[in-house]
Amino acid sequence: MAPDNRRLQGPESTFSYTLYIPNNRTDHNVVEQISSDERRKDGRKLNEQRRIYVKTGVVSQAKGSAYIEQSNTKVVCSVFDPREIPRKSGYSVNGELYCEFKFAPFSCIQWRSHQPDAFEKECSLILRRSLEPAVCRHEFPNFQVDVYALVLENDGSALAAAITCAALALADASVPMYDLVVAATLGVHGDKKFMDPTVEEESLCNILPPDGRSRNHGIITAAFSPAHQQMSEFAQSGAMDIDCATSSIQLLREACESIYLLSQQCLLKGVTKMLKKKQKEIKLDLSSDRIAC
Amino acid sequence: MYNRGFRCDGRMRLDYRPMEVETDVVSHASGSARLRLANTDILVGVKTEIDTPYPERPREGKIEFFVDCSANATPAFEGRGGEELGTEISNSLATAYQSSQTFDLTALCILPGQQCWKLYIDILILECGGNLFDAVSLAVKAALHNTRVPKVKGACLDGGTVDLQLSDDPYDCCRLDVSDAPCLVTLCKIGDHCVVDPTAEEETCSSGSVVIAITEKSLVTSVFKTGVGSFHPQTLIDILKVGQTIGLSVNKALRAALLEEEQQGRKKECFGFLK
Repeated sequence: MAPDNRRLQGPESTFSYTLYIPNNRTDHNVVEQISSDERRKDGRKLNEQRRIYVKTGVVSQAKGSAYIEQSNTKVVCSVFDPREIPRKSGYSVNGELYCEFKFAPFSCIQWRSHQPDAFEKECSLILRRSLEPAVCRHEFPNFQVDVYALVLENDGSALAAAITCAALALADASVPMYDLVVAATLGVHGDKKFMDPTVEEESLCNILPPDGRSRNHGIITAAFSPAHQQMSEFAQSGAMDIDCATSSIQLLREACESIYLLSQQCLLKGVTKMLKKKQKEIKLDLSSDRIAC
Repeated sequence: MYNRGFRCDGRMRLDYRPMEVETDVVSHASGSARLRLANTDILVGVKTEIDTPYPERPREGKIEFFVDCSANATPAFEGRGGEELGTEISNSLATAYQSSQTFDLTALCILPGQQCWKLYIDILILECGGNLFDAVSLAVKAALHNTRVPKVKGACLDGGTVDLQLSDDPYDCCRLDVSDAPCLVTLCKIGDHCVVDPTAEEETCSSGSVVIAITEKSLVTSVFKTGVGSFHPQTLIDILKVGQTIGLSVNKALRAALLEEEQQGRKKECFGFLK
């Protein structure tokens, strides 16, 4: 949504009613559930990812688009034709990627404003940094390709889902790329590492673990391009020691390799569908010629 | 030349350029610091204001970073040119300081749920000579070390409004605990090796750099990548390990410099902008 530059943004005076619900803090429930039988609230193991559904070609008006569902997290991404870089006079040898990441106002537990806030701007930056190494920017010099990712529902690891979705949307838009980028999220809390955390687990990983455990906590989002074995982005927040950060690289890499297969299959399906459609159109054209004459 | 471990200005790959830091340069701010890292010049001012805490975090104060890339630094920053870079730096600082292990926000609470201190940390980039992330984070740490928060002697709730009593003595202040504040270290990848503290020229010829925020207790609070390149996972692991050792030594050096400055006390020579 276009930012409203003319109005002065007054201070927000509303806040969520969930603050007044008794026993609202479910953090300790999440931790207790795990210690019983090494399974999380939704029945997954600690290093298990959620089931993913991806589809390309969902937005008819966009050059390329993709939709991803990771359990309840839903992200749709659209890519538009290259256009001239606005507000730029000089010539640039490489094209640019303009990425926008936005949460829909109803997507999170608390209402999100229409204007992108600092967190969304940061996520847009991370999205751009993950996709840039994989796109052949020299193929569209002096032009910019727009990538818009909209999170329809946030149930954890929305940024990683957006990165995977955006890469598929770029491929669907026939933007020349070196490789498909896939991303995964890892949440760390104490000595537990949650692969693909839900929104409850993510908020747990943002707070310090209680005394008695290791003081590590944080969320790591990593983007990987498996064909070249290159990590295109590694964004960590929280506080952890170096061994935790370095050991998580391997875990994230394995997760990305498994998502990569899905991405490839989805792209293959999209291309096969398009080819079948083209074949049908050619057949119809031939038969209509016979009818005309 | 980089393969043999030397750089254009004669430094080794893991050497920093000479740094100068001075605190208490701005009289109206609660805390300030000025840091010069060769050609990079950063001025940080911290102002303390009273605000209401977030409803979901009633016992915590607030901290806000704002980076202003002034047009003085480069013509590219005029108007809204430096806005993108400014947001990137302030977001990276906000992520680095997010954990309660780095900066305890509960120390900024006055009356839970009613009043708290809000720290506005404003960073001015006066000159840009490469390696902005490191210089900014060190200047911020120095300014926070210098910040004096007025002591609240009493707070009473009078029919919905809060009445605060501050101490009469203007020098009666609390200091902030910055022992766990992180420092950002930029490791720039040029060719097959990574260098610390890149100059502006080195930054333009690198494919990418990794910025890592390290505290004195060797905790990693933020990692992100800048630039358009990508890294092999093993390279990333090596970069993180190197970054950790560098970060620890930088933190120690800054701490020593700040303590030395403090020990000079009233006899300290104020250079300000004359040097």
